[in-house]
Amino acid sequence: MKINDLEAILEDEGIVFLTYGGLLTQSLISGMTDALEHETQVNDMSMKVSHNLLTIFIELSQNMMNYSKNSSLQESGLNSKGLIVVGYDENSNSYYILSRNILDEKDKEKITPKIEQVLALNKDELKTLYRELRKSGKSKHEKGAGLGFVEVAKRCDQIEYSFSKINDTSYHYIFKAIIKNL
Amino acid sequence: MENLILEGTKYTPDIKLDADAGMVSMVGKSYPENTFEFYQPIMDWMEEYFAKNAKDKTTVNMEIIYFNSSSSKLFFDFFDVLDEAKAKHSIEINWIYDKENESALEAGEDFIEDFENLTINMVEKI
Repeated sequence: MKINDLEAILEDEGIVFLTYGGLLTQSLISGMTDALEHETQVNDMSMKVSHNLLTIFIELSQNMMNYSKNSSLQESGLNSKGLIVVGYDENSNSYYILSRNILDEKDKEKITPKIEQVLALNKDELKTLYRELRKSGKSKHEKGAGLGFVEVAKRCDQIEYSFSKINDTSYHYIFKAIIKNL
Repeated sequence: MENLILEGTKYTPDIKLDADAGMVSMVGKSYPENTFEFYQPIMDWMEEYFAKNAKDKTTVNMEIIYFNSSSSKLFFDFFDVLDEAKAKHSIEINWIYDKENESALEAGEDFIEDFENLTINMVEKI
C-alpha cells in the first residue's frame, strides 16, 4: 500500500479527516463530529465558526446517509462510494467540507434548482427563506423540504458544486462548502 | 401522568418532561438520525399534558448547543404546540445560550419573531 503517497495527498490538501466508502452511519457521523469539535477547540476557533463547521458537516453527512438509505443505487453497489472530506486551507485561512456521492439523472435534475436557488440569495434573503420553509408543512415529516441546503448556505461563505458524468445514468455529485476562519 | 426522562447522548439532548412540576427541559445537542421519530414521544407527551394534566404554570427550558436542520424544524413544531396551548395555559419559555454561541442566540431570536404571542426569555448562561 502506498501509504506515503496517501499521506502526502492528505498533507497537501490540508485534510483534517475523511471518510470514504462503506456505510455512513449515525454513530460514525457522531464520532467524526466529536473529532471535528475537538479540532476546533485545539485550534482555538471561535464558537461561531466552530458551530458553523459542525452544523454543515452534520448536514452534509446526514444528507448522504439518508440518501444512500433511500436511493435506487442501493443495488448497483455505487452508493457505497460516498466521500466526505474536511480540510483546512492555510493560504485563505478557511475550512472546507466536501461531499461527493453518486446521483442518477432524476436526482441531479431535482437537486440543481435547489442549490441554484440558495446561491442566488444573500444572507438576509437566506434567513427569510429558512424561516418560511421551516414554517411550512407542519408534521409532514419531510426531510426538511430543502431546509438543509439553506442551513448550509446560511452558515458558510462560499459554495461550489459540480456534476461529472460516470456513465449514461449516473453522476458524481460534488458539493463543497467553505468557511472562513475569522 | 408519567414523567418522561431521556438521558442525553452525543446527538440527542437530555430531556426531562415533569408533569408534577410543570417543567419541561431539553439540554444538549440535537442531530438524531430520525429526528421526527425520536421526538414523537415528546410531542405526544406535550399534547397529553396540555390536554389533561397541565399545571397552572408551565416552564420550558431549552438549552440547545447546536442542532441539524430537521431538529430546527422539529423545535418549530414544538413551539407551535406551545403556541396553541397558550390560549388556555400559562407558559414561560427560557431559551438558554452561552454568550459566545452566536448561532444559538440567533436561533432563539428567530423563534421570538416567529412566535410573537409566546413568552420567550433569552437567558445568557453565566
